[in-house]
Amino acid sequence: MTRVAIVGVGHSKFGKRTDVNVAELAFESIKQAVEDAKVDRKEIGNVVVGSAGGWYEESLPAVIVNEYAGLNSVGTMRVEAACASGSAAVKAAYNSIVSGETDVAMAVGVEKMTEVDTLTSVELIGRAGSYMWEFENFGMTFPAYYALYAVAHMNRFGTKEEDMSRVAVKAHHYGAMNPLAQFQKEITLEKALGSQVVSWPLKLYDACPLTDGSAAVILASEEAAKKLTDTPVWIRGVGYSSDSANLSRRNDYVGLEATVAAAKRAYAMAKVAPGDVDVATAHDCFTIAELMAYEDLGFCKKGEGAKMVREGQTEVGGKIPVNLDGGLKAKGHPIGATGVSMAVEITKQLRGEAGPHQAPIRNGVGLVHNVGGTGHYAYVTILSRS
Amino acid sequence: MSDDPALHSRRPLTLRFDIPISRTREFWDGLRDGRFITTKCKNCGNVSFPPQADCPNCMKGEFEWVDLGRDAKLLTFTYVQVTPASFVENDPYIIAIGELAKGLKVLAWLEGIGPEDAKLGMAMRIEFRASKEGNPYYVFVKA
Ligand SMILES: [Zn+2]
Repeated sequence: MTRVAIVGVGHSKFGKRTDVNVAELAFESIKQAVEDAKVDRKEIGNVVVGSAGGWYEESLPAVIVNEYAGLNSVGTMRVEAACASGSAAVKAAYNSIVSGETDVAMAVGVEKMTEVDTLTSVELIGRAGSYMWEFENFGMTFPAYYALYAVAHMNRFGTKEEDMSRVAVKAHHYGAMNPLAQFQKEITLEKALGSQVVSWPLKLYDACPLTDGSAAVILASEEAAKKLTDTPVWIRGVGYSSDSANLSRRNDYVGLEATVAAAKRAYAMAKVAPGDVDVATAHDCFTIAELMAYEDLGFCKKGEGAKMVREGQTEVGGKIPVNLDGGLKAKGHPIGATGVSMAVEITKQLRGEAGPHQAPIRNGVGLVHNVGGTGHYAYVTILSRS
Repeated sequence: MSDDPALHSRRPLTLRFDIPISRTREFWDGLRDGRFITTKCKNCGNVSFPPQADCPNCMKGEFEWVDLGRDAKLLTFTYVQVTPASFVENDPYIIAIGELAKGLKVLAWLEGIGPEDAKLGMAMRIEFRASKEGNPYYVFVKA
């Protein structure tokens, strides 16, 4: 089985992108990734497009995106794993190389969420669970899903609303250093705590925004990677799992079992431990999600997520820096693009190209944690310089 | 609104789903009759909620209906203040997850109290309602 490396990355500006349509937006990342990899497009045997869709006008994003980028008659598919569609795209591209099907593949994540009105977007995300049993009569929303976990976590472990707000303050602190982030402005704890309640106890500043954005990575087999680049970043481990559509079928509400299972598989495959990870992206669609991720990924014990953020353990200089690109909270969360964006960020970190928000790299190991829905899907990808 | 030029596409798509419920019909009829029932597999004894005609445990399709009772304990909740587009006419609502006496969990609205009076672990009871379209559904109230 060949090893697989990321040999090219591309990332659009995230935000409300009224200047481009979905194909133009994806093109920004594809062009950068192709140039970064210095690869001939004819070498790309598979293009996997991660996009949840529904909020933009095109129904077949894969072919729309490929046509615009001149990727003609390429093997392609669009994949969906809700907010983890991007990681699913990376996984599918990875598989096509490992299987020997192609030496070079591309994963593109793209989402355009602001062409419809805000409440329609809220509705479409709220339907992403069990429509029949939890939306039709009860009007679930994305914040409501995570709020159910937040209340249980607060009750069980003494996590406070301030702890969640601290995650937002950290996200905005680093987002301010990322020129591609949707929000590039620091916020205060008071501002976060005093923001409008969306679904108690979650407030506006506990929630990621609706975002337009794209990201792309080009993957290559070991042989192809060695010809293309001197700075390959290897995909050392990929773990993925899922959980019930209905929240009523979950065992508990203080962590995401899909994350725990995905992480276990990824660590085992990569033969690394949580303590080996130099830098990580954790799926912080809501601040409580980042606190639970610290625990579920093994960065701390269950129930100690709040302590991690209080002590600054997930900032630069702490035990393990998390979401130095601003995370979903400040960088933005274009659903299908997020997982690819995370892979771009960790690749740049491991190459030492992250600029003002560069983490110190000791072991050369980074981790991407990408959740779909409310732990409906989870992907953990471990990247390494060696 | 942005100043960027846009093609203002206005071809609204209305989604009206007719969702088949023939295989769980007794459940919906039960709600109208004031009974909260679900499916129990005749082969392995697995009880499912939501009800399903095909057993997710052993994949057999022989089942019976069992009464779940109406008592539940509050496990967690949230107070939804920003509602989805199709719920904009609703006042803010509490969504709760309750654990039934038999261990199964149910997600539903918690009605009749404000969020400040919702306490984890408190006793709740299932009650029955009908939507404005006449579809039956269930809610929790404080016991
Ligand atoms: Zn059975």
